[in-house]
Amino acid sequence: MMKQLIAQMQEIARELLETGIVQTVIGWEKGSRWYLSPPVFVRKPEDAGRLWYDQFAVPNLSGYLLDYRNKNEKVAVFVKGCDSRSVVRLIQDNQVRKENIVAIGVPCAGMRDQSAVNDEKEPHELPLLSKCLQCRYPNPVYADRTVGEAVVDKSLNVPDDLDAGTGLMGGDLTGDGSYVSSGIVERLEGLSSDDRYDFWQKAFSKCLRCYACRNVCPACSCRECIMDSEHSLWVGKGSSPTENMFNALIRAYHVAGRCTTCGECERVCPVGIPLMALNQFLGQEVNKLLEAYDAGIDETLKPPLEMYGWPDFDGLFRCAKGVRA
Amino acid sequence: MMFLEKGDLHFVLDVLAGLGKLYVPAESNGITRFVPYGGEKTQVWLQTNTAISPKEILFPATETLYRYETGRGKETVKPVADHHAPLILFGIRSCDLQAITCLDDVFLDGEFVDELYRERRETATIIALSCAKAGPHCFCQSMGLDPLAHRQSDLQMYDYDQYYGLEANSDRGRLLLETLEKHDLLSVSGRENPVPALEFALEVETEGITEKLTGMFEHPLWEEVASKCLNCGICTYLCPACHCFDISEKLDNAHCGSKIRCWDSCMFSGYTRMAGGHNPRPGKRERVRERFMHKLCYFPQRYGKYLCTGCGRCLAKCPVGLEITKIMELVKEVENDA
Ligand code: SF4
Ligand code: SF4
Ligand code: SF4
Repeated sequence: MMKQLIAQMQEIARELLETGIVQTVIGWEKGSRWYLSPPVFVRKPEDAGRLWYDQFAVPNLSGYLLDYRNKNEKVAVFVKGCDSRSVVRLIQDNQVRKENIVAIGVPCAGMRDQSAVNDEKEPHELPLLSKCLQCRYPNPVYADRTVGEAVVDKSLNVPDDLDAGTGLMGGDLTGDGSYVSSGIVERLEGLSSDDRYDFWQKAFSKCLRCYACRNVCPACSCRECIMDSEHSLWVGKGSSPTENMFNALIRAYHVAGRCTTCGECERVCPVGIPLMALNQFLGQEVNKLLEAYDAGIDETLKPPLEMYGWPDFDGLFRCAKGVRA
Repeated sequence: MMFLEKGDLHFVLDVLAGLGKLYVPAESNGITRFVPYGGEKTQVWLQTNTAISPKEILFPATETLYRYETGRGKETVKPVADHHAPLILFGIRSCDLQAITCLDDVFLDGEFVDELYRERRETATIIALSCAKAGPHCFCQSMGLDPLAHRQSDLQMYDYDQYYGLEANSDRGRLLLETLEKHDLLSVSGRENPVPALEFALEVETEGITEKLTGMFEHPLWEEVASKCLNCGICTYLCPACHCFDISEKLDNAHCGSKIRCWDSCMFSGYTRMAGGHNPRPGKRERVRERFMHKLCYFPQRYGKYLCTGCGRCLAKCPVGLEITKIMELVKEVENDA
């Protein structure tokens, strides 16, 4: 089945490149280990055979579209359900033009957790990633084409192979705050604010300021990040508790209510900081204070923090729950 | 060779801690790295090499060069106090020691000596530890190293079942052995078990790579491999041999502050951005090319050794699988008609 799917993906890529509809196709390829399927950029039809897909195609490729925002180049990108939300995010943020991209939706039954690998050579069973256990959009919410059984579908859902009992899914829109990174938010909410402060100080004390979390994020689209602007004097280059925390908070606030919960920031962090807990917490706050909102589902529905409604609960952002309509 | 029973290791560490500032590989705050030894509460970690390399001890991620004060017509510059107790680095692997020799080449050799690095390095006693198994991303052997020993250590420890075998390579090492003997921690009887050759999941052919790369500056390969790079700092910051830094300021207020030096990365756009805004390495192609050229071509040409020691950290953590081993394979494969 997977073989067929891959053949179909390669076929579409070949066709898109041959006809000149796009100049580049971004997909996954077979990696150097059995549990790795890293990104690949295919530019020639004869290279389409490199494309690959399996339960290790974890990287969200949509963020790469930011590399094309100033180019007049058309690109195709393969998207899983969660990844497709990032494409909507980028369209909504005017970072990409719809007519310049071809999003190709792939079916997804959940990705596997490579941190559980214990044999480098012999493939073995791996558990689902925790983000996949809580998947709510297994189908692409946005795609120009689809392969296999994928259909464009904006409704909340459970992946076919997933036991409905394990996830959070259900009919009601609960908002992105319900993304649970291994229950950590609940645990943190149970702590006193001092303990919570210590927890984050400790977590960010090991931040390397490598900015992988920012660079991989499809919602981080500033042309020049304040963390990079030498003359801002807002933040220095050194790593210190204050500066690391400044970095952490800027990032978290900047994606609040806009984060599509792809989980890439947390996946790439080389020192294992639970970044999704911050994103989730802020998502919850948005849900509580404004409205239940899932980012990157419907491009016509603006993120609550980007709107102004009357009467807003604090007089500034006037789109309090229930008042917006 | 002298022997030490593994069960006595913590006694040895206690003795060493009395001789200087002792760093040991440990699990700390959810990650493995070299930390100051704090007795029993330190969770010493000796399985493979650490996630974060020991370079941060000799070359910290952020350090103050000097403090300054201005105003009221006078300027003062205060050097940072000489704070270096002798360092003892315990449990350094061959790859990381080789990387330290690369740092030595850069910071100590030649016309400009980096005083801050020198002060630390000169006091440091390095106790190397042989690897009992290769980690999943290790390929030091392919880079010409011996995972069981490194001659530039002061003291080499060999991992033999219940014992560690100890061999001194320098006067400092011999002095340490004497001290440990005085504490009755060593014995001459032990077993020098033949250590089976390590099994490496990764092997790569390096022969001729420097020469081939010399002619590959404009090769289309770079464009090809660089697209997926995120230009983050993971590979360079985790690398034990990468040593680029940037000097900037930390202001306390308009009149005083300190000059600091921080790690920098050739993967960042700001790394080569000039004052007028021009950037000679404008994109991923140029940055990725630089990283691999520096490691596998320029550095070997200048210092006669690779700036990659096969520790595997960049492979383990690169979020997009841009693997230096793969690059070496590709460089070997591609035609070079430049
Ligand atoms: S990825 Fe992790 S280590 Fe890197 S800047 Fe982000 S939080 Fe810090
Ligand atoms: S090679 Fe990998 S780790 Fe290095 S900058 Fe690129 S994405 Fe980051
Ligand atoms: S380039 Fe990668 S494998 Fe080589 S020494 Fe640096 S981190 Fe280790």
